Amino acid sequence: MYIRSVGNISAQLSFSQLLKEPAVYTTNRLTCIEPDYSTIVDPKLIRRMSRIIKMGVAAGMECLKEAGINNPDAIITGTAYGCLADTESFLSKMVENKEELLTPTAFIQSTHNTVGAQIALMLKCHNYNNTFVHRGFSFESAMLDAITLINDGDAASVLVGGVDEITNTSHQLLSRFGLYKTNPVSSASIFESEGKGTVDGEGAAFFLLDKKASGNDYAALKALHTFYKPAGKSVVEKNISDFLAMQSVDANDIDLIITGKNGDRKNDEVYEQLSASLFKNKVSVNYKHLCGEYPTSSAFALWLAANCIKTGIIPGLPTAKKPSTILIYNNYLSIHHSLYLLSAC
Amino acid sequence: MDKLMYNLKEQIIRQLNLKDLKPEDIGDDQPLFVEGLGLDSIDALELIVLLQQEYKIKLANAEEGQSVFRSVRTMAQYITEHQPA
Repeated sequence: MYIRSVGNISAQLSFSQLLKEPAVYTTNRLTCIEPDYSTIVDPKLIRRMSRIIKMGVAAGMECLKEAGINNPDAIITGTAYGCLADTESFLSKMVENKEELLTPTAFIQSTHNTVGAQIALMLKCHNYNNTFVHRGFSFESAMLDAITLINDGDAASVLVGGVDEITNTSHQLLSRFGLYKTNPVSSASIFESEGKGTVDGEGAAFFLLDKKASGNDYAALKALHTFYKPAGKSVVEKNISDFLAMQSVDANDIDLIITGKNGDRKNDEVYEQLSASLFKNKVSVNYKHLCGEYPTSSAFALWLAANCIKTGIIPGLPTAKKPSTILIYNNYLSIHHSLYLLSAC
Repeated sequence: MDKLMYNLKEQIIRQLNLKDLKPEDIGDDQPLFVEGLGLDSIDALELIVLLQQEYKIKLANAEEGQSVFRSVRTMAQYITEHQPA
């Protein structure tokens, strides 16, 4: 199947800007550069939308616009945290108002499936609509559902995306678990900063997957595989080797590996080991210095890979060979591991 | 009454997040729903909460809502008649 179009809202302005000059931040949380939503969403609808809903809807609509499709056969979303700001809003009001005088809007908008539902409402699209909430596999679950629908012939074109947002509360709470750097660091050098923690991130990325080639696709999506809590680095290696073997792809056939290194020393150990074994002498790039770490960040990686294949240019490696085959390997908190294989059309 | 209506307009704008509007943009007798400001049923619930929060007035029955929330003036009249002393 093919990635026909993409829509992405992240801490980076666009892929062309990323090639020219990636946005660099000194912080421990990377927030999105948001567009002027009034050009994308009806202002009457915007007033009820929280930031994540606007980000998700805008990325989804941008993706559909590029594909020239306004009624996909399915809309599938993956999100780990859902609409956090709205959830915080109505929970806070419950406490403040002693469980009385609760306003409906924040509650209605707080459900995890709001982004997918809003896109469907705007399109008046009554087709299959589903949202997956599965921690670090949320986006992968959405993708697997989309792939299954297409492979089973139940859908020809599917809008699928991953969305997650940072709020002050979520950043504070997750910081207590030691997930993020305690001091601001330059996003350009998070991989050199020793020690614990990474940079918090957020984003919304959507893809229009199509059964048939359109002649102007970004890339072909060959396969997706997930594995959970591998017992050790050798199990990770075996999963990757088996995944490639299943696709009849040799490690030497891969032009570019996009890894989920995030600057946390413990998290990155597995990537270091792979770069000395299975990925030895392979061209590889990281992506979490561009978008931060969040449970659906692999959607950003997929957006990056699709653009690399379409343009033939790898951010940070302008002289590298035009990539025809890209492997994405990411893990979230060393628990949820995912692999994507893409190739040129 | 004029002061109350102005306050109401400010509160409606804030409660419903009508960022593009100023109190002067809302007519005293302009319908709030459908053809007027274009509010809908979710907004009606927000307005009920607004009455309770700001003026300690609880609508006795839901059927009243249609006449109470017809315009800013009808809301102001209802508040004047029902606000606790």
